[in-house]
Amino acid sequence: MSNTSHTTPPLTPVLIAGFAMRPLPPALLQPFLGLAMRLLQRRHPGVFERLSSVDAPLFLVDPVDLPLRFVLDPDPAMPRLSALAEDDPPPEGITAIIRGPLLALIDLMEGRIDGDALFFSRQLTIEGDTGAGVALRNAVDGAEIDLVEDVLSALGPARAPARRALGVAGGLLDRFARDMETLRGAVVAPAMQKAETQAAALRRLEEKVAGLDKAQRRQRRASTP
Amino acid sequence: MAARLTLGPVFYNWAPERWRDFYFRIADEAPVDVVCVGEVVCSKRQPFLDPMLPEVIERLQAAGKEVVLATLALIMTRREEEGVREVCRQTDLPVEANDFAAVSMLAGRPHVVGPLVNVYNEGTLGYLARNGATRVSLPGELPARSVGRLAAAGLVDLEVQVFGRMPLAISARCYHARSRNLHKDSCQYVCADDPDGMDLDTLDGEPFLSVNGTQTLSYTYVNLAAEVAELQEMGITHLRLAPQDVDMVGVARCFRELADGAREAGQAIARLDALCDGIPFSNGYFHGIEGVGAKGPLEVVE
Amino acid sequence: MTTQKLELVCPAGTPAALRAAVDSGADAVYLGFRDETNARNFPGLNFNREELADGLRYAHQKGAKVLLAINSFPEAGNPGPWTKAVDDAARLGVDAVILADVGLCDYAARTHPDLRRHLSVQASASNPEAINFYAREFGVRRVVLPRVLTVAEIADLNKSIPVETEVFVFGGLCVMAEGRCALSSYATGKSPNMTGVCSPASHVRYVEEGDRLTSRLGEFTINRFDSSENAGYPTLCKGRFVAAGKTSYLFEDPTSLNVIDMLPDLMAAGVTALKIEGRQRGRAYVAQAVAAFREAVDRAAAGIPVGRVDLTSITEGRRQTAGSYEKAWR
Repeated sequence: MSNTSHTTPPLTPVLIAGFAMRPLPPALLQPFLGLAMRLLQRRHPGVFERLSSVDAPLFLVDPVDLPLRFVLDPDPAMPRLSALAEDDPPPEGITAIIRGPLLALIDLMEGRIDGDALFFSRQLTIEGDTGAGVALRNAVDGAEIDLVEDVLSALGPARAPARRALGVAGGLLDRFARDMETLRGAVVAPAMQKAETQAAALRRLEEKVAGLDKAQRRQRRASTP
Repeated sequence: MAARLTLGPVFYNWAPERWRDFYFRIADEAPVDVVCVGEVVCSKRQPFLDPMLPEVIERLQAAGKEVVLATLALIMTRREEEGVREVCRQTDLPVEANDFAAVSMLAGRPHVVGPLVNVYNEGTLGYLARNGATRVSLPGELPARSVGRLAAAGLVDLEVQVFGRMPLAISARCYHARSRNLHKDSCQYVCADDPDGMDLDTLDGEPFLSVNGTQTLSYTYVNLAAEVAELQEMGITHLRLAPQDVDMVGVARCFRELADGAREAGQAIARLDALCDGIPFSNGYFHGIEGVGAKGPLEVVE
Repeated sequence: MTTQKLELVCPAGTPAALRAAVDSGADAVYLGFRDETNARNFPGLNFNREELADGLRYAHQKGAKVLLAINSFPEAGNPGPWTKAVDDAARLGVDAVILADVGLCDYAARTHPDLRRHLSVQASASNPEAINFYAREFGVRRVVLPRVLTVAEIADLNKSIPVETEVFVFGGLCVMAEGRCALSSYATGKSPNMTGVCSPASHVRYVEEGDRLTSRLGEFTINRFDSSENAGYPTLCKGRFVAAGKTSYLFEDPTSLNVIDMLPDLMAAGVTALKIEGRQRGRAYVAQAVAAFREAVDRAAAGIPVGRVDLTSITEGRRQTAGSYEKAWR
């Protein structure tokens, strides 16, 4: 699957970090992901209960600016999160694919940003079973996840220094994100405009064909005995 | 006993003379038992029909039809409320309420409740029966299971629409006017241009809905020809035909024969197909699936 | 007539959203049980009984009310889920139930006469006679007005009815008379009235075709967006269609209602409460919308101009309208 065309070609700090991560095999991440799931299960069991309306879903979460994708199996008894390298094929039976820039996905997970707003602005896409995707979004939004707080709670006495370090990192990341946004606009905007013109021309053509189709169908019906 | 046939009100903005002549022909030729008359969709059209109404009623009554006055579906202004009150106040003819305002005005005397009033369960049906309703025309959305249960309650006569476009929504906004960049207040009555509704197609050119001023209907014609027997077994007493811009006398004859067991459903559907000029049929709501769906003999084999 | 401060009624799809609404200054929060008894029966949303009890405690501690929407129409032969919802509302001590079905209004009035009853927008009571009917027959104390009336009509209406009115001021916008729309079930078999959903996500498909995004509902294409366009829900009434050879948003553009600058007019029209739509939206939306309206309501009450507040980022299609409150909308 190579659906890499996205409306806002992401050139975020995460992307830059992504290049650095490229040689990192997903297997190395697995212990951290396992820990994250156990933490989520302990601190936010409601997430999994809220997903009970969907029958055994399997989500593919695709941060478009990372060379990695994640498979989430929110089984209430044993939730699992695993990482896939970009070229690894996803497992069978994916219910829905959620795509967006990593920072947006983190904001969404922490309830800092409204999923619909992300969607309306085309930063977030849901493919496959939209109902399952919406359920996941609602469940996560209802959980009041706070990654920093959740991780810190697991750290115990090391909390305070860690909190300071994370705070600094968060601020740096924000500033970096703003700078990169400016750069992205300069590099990408002209290319986007061209694609735009082509798309409009294509749409006009399609409307014409659709109109012809209808006229033809009418005639066919009228001549049917 | 075989079900009676009701001709629902004309939803469209037909020229007054045409509207009158349509009912004259119904009076003279159509084997229907009940005829609903009156403007349901837009109060702005009312003044054009009023002058025709007395002679239409007279002709229908002379032909032995039960004439019922249908009220406005969405009442927003004082003037509209007064108009409906006037209809409900007269006692010469039975009234079909299409809004709870009319249900309220008709409290304590026999009346009909129309399909635009939300009657989904025995609780509401029971209330309406106590309020004076003698017949309730059920909302088109109801599946067979609900229709059967309401019929089993045996509270009042029940009616189900078996033919014609299904009214799906009503709005304060006029979409006919909007399609011509006009506002409702200065609409120039452009809805008159589409006597069977204005097609609304998807971007793929597939006909989907039908617009009639402030009302939105299904593009497909509901056709429960194959379900008439089942409806009668459930105890449905009246079958409703919604007037379309087709030979409604022919349509009425078809359903009369079906209700009398004098015609096979398959034959009737073929006949209706010929009368309706290629408009697709649907019966999905009754079968508990999407309304646009077609089950049984209506399924189109490509 | 004494001008009272407008009551701000805010959505909560989850306990987290309830806390966000209360913390951001909601006077009341409305919510529903996690089943087909309410008109936002969306996956992953709403409250179980225990969560409602917790939510009630939280809201009441902070002086906010909790209103429970039981505003779909009970299924024939299966009244249980709806009557039980009303019973549990009374048992748990919610401040009011919001009902739409006449049969259920009747049940609530007879079984729990002391349980305050509001009439849902789903009942589409748009005129004095209909509103007086619900007040007289079922002791309804407040009516949520359908989004079909102008401010002038609302002012006129308030003079002829003995009950409070609540009006929508922000969020998703039904363009059809609510509770009287079967567009969704025509395409999907699921409707607000029967299943508590409109254009349900389970029947929605987004298809990316190059740089364009096509949204489909059931078997029908509802819209197609170029890369530069903001997307919207594939709600039927916000779809792009072709009529008389012209492609347009015939019913309504993807847009959100926002009348934050009309609060003084609504006060003058005698409205009691303002409603923010969006139980299906995230708590970030709830916090942002509620905080903005909290400030606007306080300013309006103090006679200070409300001023411009930018809520564009949380609106559908990133556009706003005053909807039916202005006559030209029709």
